[in-house]
Amino acid sequence: MMQAIPLKARDFKSDVKPIWCPGCGHFSVLNAITKAMAALGIDKDDTVLVSGIGCSSRLPAYVDSYGFHGVHGRGLAIAQGLKVARPDLTVLALGGDGDGFSIGGNHFIHACRRNVNMTYIAMDNEVYGMTKGQASPTTPMDWDHSKLTPHGPGVRPFKPAALALASGAPWIGRGYSGNPNQIAKLIAEAVEFPGFSFLHVMSQCITFCPEQTDWKAVVSEMDGPPLADADAAAKQFLHEDGFQTGLLYREERPTWPPVGETAVDETALASLAASFSV
Amino acid sequence: MNKQMALFLAHSAELETEAQERYEELAESMREHRNIPVADFFRRMVDEAGRHLEEVAELAADMTLPDLKAWEFDWPDAEAPETTSYEALHYRMSLRQAMQLALDNERAARAYYSDYADNCEDVETAEVARSFAAEESSHVAELERLMAEQPADHPHLWEEDDDPHMPE
Ligand SMILES: Cc1ncc(C[n+]2csc(CCOP(=O)(O)OP(=O)(O)O)c2C)c(N)n1
Ligand code: SF4
Repeated sequence: MMQAIPLKARDFKSDVKPIWCPGCGHFSVLNAITKAMAALGIDKDDTVLVSGIGCSSRLPAYVDSYGFHGVHGRGLAIAQGLKVARPDLTVLALGGDGDGFSIGGNHFIHACRRNVNMTYIAMDNEVYGMTKGQASPTTPMDWDHSKLTPHGPGVRPFKPAALALASGAPWIGRGYSGNPNQIAKLIAEAVEFPGFSFLHVMSQCITFCPEQTDWKAVVSEMDGPPLADADAAAKQFLHEDGFQTGLLYREERPTWPPVGETAVDETALASLAASFSV
Repeated sequence: MNKQMALFLAHSAELETEAQERYEELAESMREHRNIPVADFFRRMVDEAGRHLEEVAELAADMTLPDLKAWEFDWPDAEAPETTSYEALHYRMSLRQAMQLALDNERAARAYYSDYADNCEDVETAEVARSFAAEESSHVAELERLMAEQPADHPHLWEEDDDPHMPE
């Protein structure tokens, strides 16, 4: 639903002040979300942000909309359930690389496969920030800054875009925390896309990976339209350096709930609720 | 209506709004992390940006400015020129380092306005852009003066007893 008086990005910020470290990339994602919400003219009351656990997963508290700070790795499960039950809502799930690709990895691949009409933002700093800097599934093999992995994790990091593609995600984008305006544009496109949209954001952890400030020098923007051919995309996502940003892949396929179906089936909902009553 | 002027003022208003909101975010987060001198300095910069924003609003009072989305503005870099980038921040940063960031921002804004004036075909808009560049110059001079009064930073400024790299 569109609102009569257009709101500005700052109107979508809540009164809760972020406790992230100054310079944390997650601030940029917060700014981008509020800019995208303002640009889309989204109604706060019809928007829900769902997260797991981690520094990144604190984000819903900082946005003036409905939110659910869930269980570690389970944000996507909660968000999909919500969207299926309430197709009229705009649902965004978000969290970190630990939350989404470690403990929540199974939910991630199946969310890509199910193609529920919602957006998932993975704020990837290649580390578990909240628990003080342990390696995650996207940590480089030789990253030796944690005493738990003094010689680096020694295993190959996940490639989130390749994983999403192989699991069936029809919309794959990538942003970088140094460019919140580009992230905002990508979020706006992701929300408008009819299907599961996966936005991978390289979001620096200034405290445990200060070397990530070097990302600024290596990020690039993808030229031209997004890929629509899965074979070409697979080749690209397996061999790229991971620093190419923009809308990388887009494919139309049937989604749930079907496009245009936003009414809530109250009877079905009531009977489902009744079946759980004791 | 002077379309060039309206487009320029829309950019100026966004530039100052972005600068102000980022300083506000930084002031709040530095306060959260108990770096009070830096928090207070960023708060002062919030007010500075606010004053310039008011001037832009006054000039634009009788105009309808184009309604651009955050990503539709035309900036020389990823973000608006006076916006503090996230890369150079640390919760233990000194007042001197915070001032250096603000100085870099003011210089970037000055360069933006003066380039705009040099490349703008509309004489009236170029004149306003030049006056904004002059105003940014005075902010640069003031920050340079303040920085000259600051003592040099301690060489181990960002180190602390409770090192964040501690998982055992
Ligand atoms: C079930 C469970 N296991 C482990 C934890 C401990 N824990 C809290 S946050 C976190 C990882 C957070 O990393 P990430 O999702 O990458 O987010 P970041 O903090 O880096 O933004 C872990 C393992 C937990 N809270 N719950
Ligand atoms: S520890 Fe890292 S991820 Fe967590 S708030 Fe600080 S910079 Fe951000």
